[in-house]
Amino acid sequence: MIISPDNIVLWQWGQFSLNATIVFTWLVMALLTLTSWLVTRNLKSTTEISQWQNLLEVLVTGIHDQIRQLSHQEPGRFLPFVGSLFLYIAMANLLNVIPGYMAPTGSLSTTTALAICVFVAVPLFGITREGPLNYLKHYIRPTWLMLPFNLIGEVSRTLALAVRLYGNIMSGTVIVAILLSLTPYFFPVVMQLLGLLTGMIQAYIFAVLAMVYIASATTAHEASQDIKKETESKPDN
Amino acid sequence: MAIDWITVSAQIINFLILVWLLKRFLYKPVIRAMNKRKQTIAERLNQAREREREAKQKIQLYQVKAGKLKNARDRILDDAKLEAAKQKKQLLELARAELHEKLDLWQRQVVEEKQEFMTSLRARASENIQAIARKALHDLADAELENQVVNTFIKQLKTVDKKTRKSLSEASEPLTIASAFELSASLRDRLSNAINEHLCPGIEVNYTESPELLCGIELSRGGHRLSWNLVNYLDELNNNIEQAFSSIAPAREEA
Repeated sequence: MIISPDNIVLWQWGQFSLNATIVFTWLVMALLTLTSWLVTRNLKSTTEISQWQNLLEVLVTGIHDQIRQLSHQEPGRFLPFVGSLFLYIAMANLLNVIPGYMAPTGSLSTTTALAICVFVAVPLFGITREGPLNYLKHYIRPTWLMLPFNLIGEVSRTLALAVRLYGNIMSGTVIVAILLSLTPYFFPVVMQLLGLLTGMIQAYIFAVLAMVYIASATTAHEASQDIKKETESKPDN
Repeated sequence: MAIDWITVSAQIINFLILVWLLKRFLYKPVIRAMNKRKQTIAERLNQAREREREAKQKIQLYQVKAGKLKNARDRILDDAKLEAAKQKKQLLELARAELHEKLDLWQRQVVEEKQEFMTSLRARASENIQAIARKALHDLADAELENQVVNTFIKQLKTVDKKTRKSLSEASEPLTIASAFELSASLRDRLSNAINEHLCPGIEVNYTESPELLCGIELSRGGHRLSWNLVNYLDELNNNIEQAFSSIAPAREEA
């Protein structure tokens, strides 16, 4: 039984192989980009707008507000990254209802790639906000003894991020495959519906966790700076 | 559960491309459109507030104008009422004067008609009385009216005072007897005898007819006159009728 789209190789050229994960990712990308382009080429600033524009505005506003609530910061910087994570995973999981389609998120390679993106994005957002030195000091707080634990925490949460999404989506695919062989009619449909729900929840969880990590990397520094300012002002009293 | 690192790197690139594409085609245009709409709505709200402020100013302006108009209307209305009262008074006075004038005219006409009526009544009464008296005398006493008139006149001649008798007898003019009816020869003789006997002895008497004497008889000489006719009776009748009219007139005025 094929449980990962990585194993479906569609085209091979030397060491490079074009597998189903990449092809379905391109499909999802094309679908998202094409829909966005089709709708946003005729955007209106008036109060009368099309249903599609309304849908996109609701989506963007929803992500925008979620980021604001989680980070307590202006969401403009994080929106493209976090929003794309959510939309990509959600769309990849949503298309799972199409027969023959295999969600790219069911591949550990994809989820690892996304987790690496988050792993890199967290310090990047922190560094662009505070500078490299201030950000790196975060790892030796409250004392340098915590450095290994902080590093382990960074790696483990990235690993957890990747494995959580992969496990959930892969398990859904596997369960449907197993049930199809046992009871081919009713249960696979129910499990498929459950898979849709799980897929959407996982997309939300992935995006939210990514945002939480980024927010903790940026607000932690702000909080420490606030504490520093307070301690500097205390001796005067 | 193997990780294909080539796929991982490809997926990282794919995701970064997707981030760029969505930023280019989704987030930026949508947020720009929403911001523009927000700005448009804010501008419209400002315009609406501005218009509301202008509208309030206009309302105040119109309220002031309405107040002024109301005052002007009240003033014009008061003036019109005063003018109307004045005109009413003038018209009433005019109507009253006209009424008085018409009343005077009417009263004059009534007086004239009354006079005409009385004159006509007098003429008709004279004729009728004359006819009735004649008929009554004839029916009751088998006597002629002319005879009775002459008898009455002769009785009157007998009772003439001295002064009148003297002035009549001393006058140089001829003595004339005028009567409303034609006197017969016997009556003329009786009259002539009575005049010669009681007034002027031996005088010649001329006889004429004069219908306006109203069934009477008149003796005249040199501006002196003696007569008997129905004028006195008719005057009494006139007086009675006028009294009857005057008793009706106040009752009408009271009504």
